[in-house]
Amino acid sequence: MAESMKQKYFKWSLVSVSSILASLIFLFPLLAATIYSLKGKNGQGHSFDNYLWLVHQDGFFPNLFITLKLAVLAAALNLVLMVPTMVYLNLKGQRFKSIVDFICILPLIIPVVSLAIGAQVAMPSLLQNTEYELVFFFVVIALPYTYRALDTSLQTVPLKTLVEASRSLGASWTRTIIRVIVPAIRGGITGALFLTFALSIGEYTITSLLHWETFPTWTVVAAQQNILGAIAISVFSFVGAVILLGTIALVSRKSSSRVEVEE
Amino acid sequence: MSKQSSRVSSTLELRGVSRHFGSVKALDGLDLNLEPGELVALLGPSGCGKTTALRIVAGLEVATAGDLMVDGVRYNETPANDRDMGMVFQSYSLFPNLTVSENIEYGLRARKVDATARAKRAATMLELVALESKAKSYPHQLSGGQQQRVALARALAVEPRVLLLDEPLSALDAQVRGQIREEIRRIQLDLGITTLFVTHDQEEAMAIADRVGVMNHGRLEQIDKPIALYNKPATPFVASFVGLANRIPAEVTAKGKARVLNQKVEISSTAEEFAEGEKINIIVRPESLELSSESDPDAVRGIVALKSFLGPLTKVGVAVEGAPLIHLNIASKDVRKLEIGDAIAFKISADEVMAERVNIA
Repeated sequence: MAESMKQKYFKWSLVSVSSILASLIFLFPLLAATIYSLKGKNGQGHSFDNYLWLVHQDGFFPNLFITLKLAVLAAALNLVLMVPTMVYLNLKGQRFKSIVDFICILPLIIPVVSLAIGAQVAMPSLLQNTEYELVFFFVVIALPYTYRALDTSLQTVPLKTLVEASRSLGASWTRTIIRVIVPAIRGGITGALFLTFALSIGEYTITSLLHWETFPTWTVVAAQQNILGAIAISVFSFVGAVILLGTIALVSRKSSSRVEVEE
Repeated sequence: MSKQSSRVSSTLELRGVSRHFGSVKALDGLDLNLEPGELVALLGPSGCGKTTALRIVAGLEVATAGDLMVDGVRYNETPANDRDMGMVFQSYSLFPNLTVSENIEYGLRARKVDATARAKRAATMLELVALESKAKSYPHQLSGGQQQRVALARALAVEPRVLLLDEPLSALDAQVRGQIREEIRRIQLDLGITTLFVTHDQEEAMAIADRVGVMNHGRLEQIDKPIALYNKPATPFVASFVGLANRIPAEVTAKGKARVLNQKVEISSTAEEFAEGEKINIIVRPESLELSSESDPDAVRGIVALKSFLGPLTKVGVAVEGAPLIHLNIASKDVRKLEIGDAIAFKISADEVMAERVNIA
């Protein structure tokens, strides 16, 4: 009895110490960066000057806006393309699944330079001249993650019977997907949305290679003018991402607690 | 009882419907007619094609050959969502994100019925399945029986031409199964809706259906009223699949006659013809065997090898030389003193028996 209590105490201590150490490794640089970004002029005192400098820079809001706009469009396009595709693959196209799986992994294998230049050549000229071409690139780089998020989610629901029930009740395919499948795989869709959105707002390489300016490329240029401002940009980006992640996780948990799918 | 459906009951006809998956014939030229308001059960072992037939009617499977007619109109190419059929699945298939009311209203929404009419119809359906208090519940908050009643209400809410029930009671426990079975029959009679019911449970099929179709290897072996199916099986398969049957070795003595153990029996006129002297199996139900006196020249003598009390009846297994264990169903009051190892005499009381060639499984 005493031995088991001792073992339990040892395990608890080990987990606690590891967690604290891991938190410190994660939090220390962040805390240091936050404190540093709040330094006043000439390193004296504390103020929000660096953050104010950041938001007063030309291009801050336009680039932030365009990045968010492109990220939202990419997330929406990704879902419009991938949800019906994944439903089809899981419902009727099992034999094509391995092929699509392979195609979706390609963005991870093909070097970004080849992907960017090669895909741009194939892009219709109408799109080559607008920043909206980036939406398609963002969709492509998010494919490996979207595929897995949706596939895992679809495999946890009795997809076939739900679809058949909906169809036998007179619903069209569109209604079936929107009213039955999407709510049933809300967790997977939220995950796919988040991943596409997160990848899109942080994407730098393709945007830079294609000479477009978004928030990530703008911050690189802006950071070269003010070292404290650059740290403020890092903290701003990190906190923004954390808030986004938290919000989506909260929404996802709320919806999944309401939707319990049983076989 | 008042009819709550405004739609006139439909006829359903399958003419030579087949479904092949490669070289496998899941359904092989099925002919089936359902009269308006009739409940027909398709009964058969797993893989006999009964569910395939139902899915073809629902539009969830495409027939390789044959015609599907509803009220005389060919439905082969009509998509599932335009067929006006109500289907209840074995696994309930309620939409987990919708409340009970919303589930019932789902088909009406698809038909663009206005909100007031939808709510009224949902309330009527909930009353029909006695689940008024569960209108705002989600499927996961209901028991299996309640979920299946909601599924039934949802299928009926759209006033379907034909109601299709795909083993709707299989996932329920025995007590609830009995209740829901009676409820389905009550509602079906109340609404007068043409219904096709698929099951592998013969008791369920016999209890609920106007006619039962027994299927085997994608073919309809026999379709008839439950009592006729039981008493006059058309094929050895039907005889052995519907109810418990003894297979006893026999020899054909003349056309339509056979000797089984000590007794001469008439072979059913529906059985195939056998040559004189041919070795056959006769198929006899346990209740067609009765106790007899030892002095009866026709009596078969054996030893009690098994005794199972089933309430008013007791199932007695008798070991007889030259035959497999033969089962008799005897009134419990008549076998109170009978013990395992006792000698027993019995004879076949049926006027005629079904017979099969011995090489048939």
